[in-house]
Amino acid sequence: MRISFFDRFRLGVAVAVAKTVTALVRSLRLGAASVLPGEIARRLHPNLLQLLSRQVKHGVIFIAGTNGKTTTSLLLRTMLERQGWRIAHNAAGANLVNGLMTALLANTNLIGQLSADYAILEVDENILPKVLPSIQPKFILCLNLFRDQLDRYGEVDTISQRWKDAIAQLPKETVVILNGDDPTLSYLGQQLPQRVLSFGLSEPEAYLDEIPHAVDSIYCPRCGHSLDYQGVYLSHQGDFHCPSCGFEKSKLAIDSRKWPQILIGIYNKYNTLAAVLAAQEIGVDTDTLLDTIKNFHAAFGRSEELEVAGKKVRILLSKNPVALNETIRAVNQQRSNGGFSTTLMVLNDRTPDGTDVSWIWDVDTEKLVEKGGTVVVSGDRVYDMALRIRYSQAEGNVCKLIVKEDLQDAIATALEHTPTGETLHILPTYSAMLEVRGILTGRQIL
Amino acid sequence: MELTIGWLYPSLMSTYGDRGNVICLRQRAEWRGIQVNVLSLAQDTPPEEFHKVDVLVGGGAQDRQQEIVMRDLRGAKAEAIREKIEAGTPGVFTCGSPQLLGHYYEPALGQRIEGLGLLDMESKHPGPDARRCIGNVVFEVTATRLAQDLQKMLGAAPVIIGFENHGGRTYLGKVEPLGRVVSGYGNNGEDGTEGAFYRNAIATYSHGPLLPKNPFVADWLIQTALLEKYQTPVSLEPLDDTLATQAREAMFKKLTAIKK
Repeated sequence: MRISFFDRFRLGVAVAVAKTVTALVRSLRLGAASVLPGEIARRLHPNLLQLLSRQVKHGVIFIAGTNGKTTTSLLLRTMLERQGWRIAHNAAGANLVNGLMTALLANTNLIGQLSADYAILEVDENILPKVLPSIQPKFILCLNLFRDQLDRYGEVDTISQRWKDAIAQLPKETVVILNGDDPTLSYLGQQLPQRVLSFGLSEPEAYLDEIPHAVDSIYCPRCGHSLDYQGVYLSHQGDFHCPSCGFEKSKLAIDSRKWPQILIGIYNKYNTLAAVLAAQEIGVDTDTLLDTIKNFHAAFGRSEELEVAGKKVRILLSKNPVALNETIRAVNQQRSNGGFSTTLMVLNDRTPDGTDVSWIWDVDTEKLVEKGGTVVVSGDRVYDMALRIRYSQAEGNVCKLIVKEDLQDAIATALEHTPTGETLHILPTYSAMLEVRGILTGRQIL
Repeated sequence: MELTIGWLYPSLMSTYGDRGNVICLRQRAEWRGIQVNVLSLAQDTPPEEFHKVDVLVGGGAQDRQQEIVMRDLRGAKAEAIREKIEAGTPGVFTCGSPQLLGHYYEPALGQRIEGLGLLDMESKHPGPDARRCIGNVVFEVTATRLAQDLQKMLGAAPVIIGFENHGGRTYLGKVEPLGRVVSGYGNNGEDGTEGAFYRNAIATYSHGPLLPKNPFVADWLIQTALLEKYQTPVSLEPLDDTLATQAREAMFKKLTAIKK
């Protein structure tokens, strides 16, 4: 794209100011500076997002969806880097406009020249349609759509409709990679003029026994009739078809059985397949992909493993009903050979967590409790979580409930109750996850 | 003894942890040795089933789902619910489901949806750009008979604590409000009323897990259901509600701190 002299000059000024701010914020230890520089630069130059993103050599890759963005983008980034590409990435998970801008600025020099082969940008589901006109990505990965903070985002139907309208405007060459097991996304893909590749599972042995309670779209996105499921892998994701209008799951472009997965949990299988499909499309060879999967280390708080006081600790971010249901399933799979294990649940109700904690009643905490062991609860809404666990205890249940208002105390207690050789699983909401990490690692991040 | 909980449209009307109310009723009854049967009242349920229930629970729905429910709930099913409520079957209707019982609901987009007209009230959404009423809500129960019953159980004025999140505003006609708002929005954010009380039906915007944090309301529903069913007063064994009390106190403390 040709940039006029005037634009180049303003771009330079904006970039210089933003970079100064970043340096200042960091040197004064005010934070990781993942948002503010972007905000300032945007005010100094309204087209900055467009001017910067068009300089990314091979194009921008968007990663959207309710759950799994951070893990998938880190995996894809690692795959591409191992292939020798240079990547710009909003690794801290700041996924609103300012966060995207800051990530691009970090790879830009003082005269406004950006050097990166690819930019991997996690994008909040609500701003995706808003940024598509300025940043026209080469690839869009849509991981899933779950009900998450409805007060902020509105209904799942509305979001997918807005995505479809915005993506359909993009050039024909855009590649859309989406979760074919998710009816809403599958339908979205079937309506697009672009090239669409679907990932998903072909492993009926991994079907859930029943559709979980916290499920949104079991209705046909095309005609509204109830969908028939041959089986469900996670929430509303599975093998489905509509008996009324014939709508069915898109043909998958990847055979899930041929790929191992990163970390634990079926949700990470989906994250793995999404990244693999994108990386294959970009031209990363199979050996590199397999090797990256094998050696993958979790992003902070996402299935991240630490060792504390000689005991293993695994932090599994659980910020909405689907995420918590899935982490409970993953934890139960890990502990299936013993009933002594300990789980720490930390529930906060701050802005990044959502101020309404009612969703914990949509979660099948019964499944965690029925396995016995110890559940320690903490967080700003410790008693709400304690009540949920109390009401999950059936007659003759041996699960022990320990309530600790103070998080430090809760962590210490949970560690004491974790037998040597077992793993302590910590299931926190977002802000709680940052606090837990801060305590466990002795340093604050973000 | 035995109780049948009728759960209205579990998959369509369950937006914000509304299942919490069903779980709470079932557990509190079972902990006292009362056998509980949870009956799902959904699209494929024949109207006869609606007659079998001893206590009704209804939650909230997104606008599209609300419309499907209100269209399904006509004819014999509507008649069954009307008969039950008129006959004194207790029920708890939270979030969106009170709109089913009122005259109509006007969503943000789309056409007015007719309700059962059982409660003299109407609900409207002021438009897609209007602010939602979101936050922790505290209200004192003022509905005379219910307030008296609860006062007797608690030895104190009954105060309900919950969470509201609604776009629609409800305006009461000749139906008694459930309570008076102490903190939060309530029915419409204007007149200080919250919810409605009719026969033994409790309607409120306080959604989802209303009962776990206000266990005295759950016990009143169980007691009333048993009285209606067996036509003889039943006294319930007290349960250990320390955690609920602590959850309430923590929230009161938080709300007072915010006010200051």
